[in-house]
Amino acid sequence: MLQRVLVWDVPTRVFHWLLAVSFAGAYLTAESERYRDIHVALGYLMFGLLLFRLVWGFAGTAYARFSSFLYAPSAVVTYVRSLFSQQPQHHVGHNPAGGVAIFLLLLLGLLISVSGLGLYWELGDEDWWEELHEIAANLMLLVVLVHIAGVVVSSVLHKENLPRSMVTGYKTAHADQGIARPYAGLGLGMLGVVAVFLLVYLGGLTF
Amino acid sequence: MLLDKYWLALSACTLLLAAPAFAETPQEILDGYTTQAKSADPAFSAFDATRGELFFKNTHGNDWSCASCHTQNPAGAGKHAKTDKPIEALAPSANAERFTDPKKVEKWFKRNCGDVLDRECTALEKGDVLTYLLTIK
Repeated sequence: MLQRVLVWDVPTRVFHWLLAVSFAGAYLTAESERYRDIHVALGYLMFGLLLFRLVWGFAGTAYARFSSFLYAPSAVVTYVRSLFSQQPQHHVGHNPAGGVAIFLLLLLGLLISVSGLGLYWELGDEDWWEELHEIAANLMLLVVLVHIAGVVVSSVLHKENLPRSMVTGYKTAHADQGIARPYAGLGLGMLGVVAVFLLVYLGGLTF
Repeated sequence: MLLDKYWLALSACTLLLAAPAFAETPQEILDGYTTQAKSADPAFSAFDATRGELFFKNTHGNDWSCASCHTQNPAGAGKHAKTDKPIEALAPSANAERFTDPKKVEKWFKRNCGDVLDRECTALEKGDVLTYLLTIK
């Protein structure tokens, strides 16, 4: 029987939206020295989020685990083809194409973080890091746009509001497909750490 | 390790992407601005160190001037106006690496003119500033 079940745990949702905000914010503050401190703070935030996600991809709940959305290339092709057929494949967690987008976003995000650190900490050749930083950031923007387009297409095809699921954590599925624990405490703890970090780094808060 | 492979792939890719910067002297970069300034204005005669110094030290509608970060003494170390991060000396007499990499020069003129003037600098402005910096011993 179909019912409202929890699919995305709180840390995964907190990660998702903070990553989106930090990437968008850093992209918009890239061109001016005036916003350099905001850009760098958002970069550190993004790096921290990605490191957390690497751990959560092994230690998290069922649909947050890398193993749950690591598909063979043929499965990705089959999925995309099914979208143009009468019976589009449906997945409770990430679909195979979405899984590819997420691995790409994680990889590009890490490249952007490491190259940004290389630039800011002046570890070696500035031009080298900068090329990497800009190319990876523009590729990431491209993947983000494809990801958003995919979310819209999937939401329409399956008549389910995927962005809302990433906010509430809930989807309509069979009762046994839900996850048991939301890990709300961990998610709220992440928000707290991020808030303190931004206040200290940008707001000059001292203890 | 999987991570090592990423690093290897990453290094290989970026080595291919990062073309070697062609080293020039500040004078060659200045000559380039002379050519550009002449083509922009046939009446152009020469760059002016005093004009460059005024341009460098004055604001241009925004709260920042070049000197906000590079200080009134470009032969000494500067300090980022937002992050307080140290900035190496700008005058070629104090820092031999300055104005030897055309790509880097254009990148920083573009970024910093954007912050100071809300536009790109003209060849005349860049030439004046570089002429001023070259007079600093």
